[in-house]
Amino acid sequence: MNEPAPAERIAIRTHNDIVTARHAAREHSARLGFGRAYQTRLATAVSELTRNVIQYAGEGSCLIEGQNDADGCSIQVTVEDHGPGIPDLALALADGFSTSGGLGAGLPGTRRLVDHFQISSEPGLTRVVIRIRKAR
Amino acid sequence: MTQSLAQVLHSHQDALLEQWLRDLSEASADVGFAPVHPELIEPLRKLFPAIIAQLGQAPDAAVSPQSSPASPASASESAQPAASSEQRAALDAQLQQLIAEQARLQRNLSDTLGFLLHLKHLLLKALLSAADQAVEERAILWLDQYFEQIAQQTLEHALAQRDRYISEQSLSIMELSTPVLRLWHQILLLPLVGVIDTGRARQITDHLLEAIAKYEARVTVIDLTGVPIIDTSVAQHIMKTIDAARLLGSRVVLTGISPEGAQTLTKLGIRFGDVISRASLRAGIAEALLITGKRIAAMEAGTR
Repeated sequence: MNEPAPAERIAIRTHNDIVTARHAAREHSARLGFGRAYQTRLATAVSELTRNVIQYAGEGSCLIEGQNDADGCSIQVTVEDHGPGIPDLALALADGFSTSGGLGAGLPGTRRLVDHFQISSEPGLTRVVIRIRKAR
Repeated sequence: MTQSLAQVLHSHQDALLEQWLRDLSEASADVGFAPVHPELIEPLRKLFPAIIAQLGQAPDAAVSPQSSPASPASASESAQPAASSEQRAALDAQLQQLIAEQARLQRNLSDTLGFLLHLKHLLLKALLSAADQAVEERAILWLDQYFEQIAQQTLEHALAQRDRYISEQSLSIMELSTPVLRLWHQILLLPLVGVIDTGRARQITDHLLEAIAKYEARVTVIDLTGVPIIDTSVAQHIMKTIDAARLLGSRVVLTGISPEGAQTLTKLGIRFGDVISRASLRAGIAEALLITGKRIAAMEAGTR
């Protein structure tokens, strides 16, 4: 079985970092043997989350961890920022809601793209943890 | 009696150079660097006299006997004036050339550093064997400091080189123009490649609208084969481009969305509504011809 790449933390400061982060996410998932559809889903999800970081918080970080266990493998991505936070999480997770004139599909769409989605937000710390999983 | 570094260097100069280059060419696995690339020999050969010239200026006044080996920082500061600025510049130029060659040949920086450190090793050995009694402590210290300084300079050059390379690359990516191609009468093709951010999206839209107006295009084929990730932001940019094209009377055919891309887009909840979409550019062109009432047909046998 393929060994996961060591955990990787990417600072998110500019638009280029979005590309770096999603590229890394794709590489990590490819290395663990995820198919192209999985890779694209994870890379897109990372792209959405890191773009949110740039757009709403200015800067943050993205941690990518691969894991291999007895009955499968998974990739977990943690995206964090120290921005103003999301005042109403339920609203932010609703389809079609956007405070920035976007499509309003970013967060709810990302949630649908991945197998596990967890978000917590308060002023000064917003953290989103996503995971995709593949059974052996 | 003790022999000065300058004397040793002077008398062994040629032999040292030959041995150095020979060692580099025949490097085995255990020396810590790969065998030197033949094209690197020349810059290394030119670098050698520059190093020797600077080393030859033994730091008689620079490193005072009291300065302990434990404080190399202060010692190297005082040692620097020993080398004349002219020689420094000569060395700098040679180093720069070496680094440029190494980058061009795509060799490792660690190998280049290994070459230089191997020279230090050879010089030390020569110094120790020549002065069979007491070797001047300060000569060894000086040699050590000097090569530290060279290694540092080499690193700086390599980093500067890389920075230049990166900024050149990002410039050329930025300049990747977004050509709007006239595929046929009233049919335009817009192949999108790479990252689509707000700035590029605006540029793309500008180009396209201009071309639509100029050629009175009835159909525009937008090909997304070269767009690696279509997330909500990219999708929104494309939608806006499509809407603007429609206002000018051009229908849009989207092509080149990969199967994974399509799956991801629907999961994201993005709908391209009533946009015509085709899997391949070929199918998209066929569609565009259909809309304009044209078709590609085989030539009749008689006219061939």
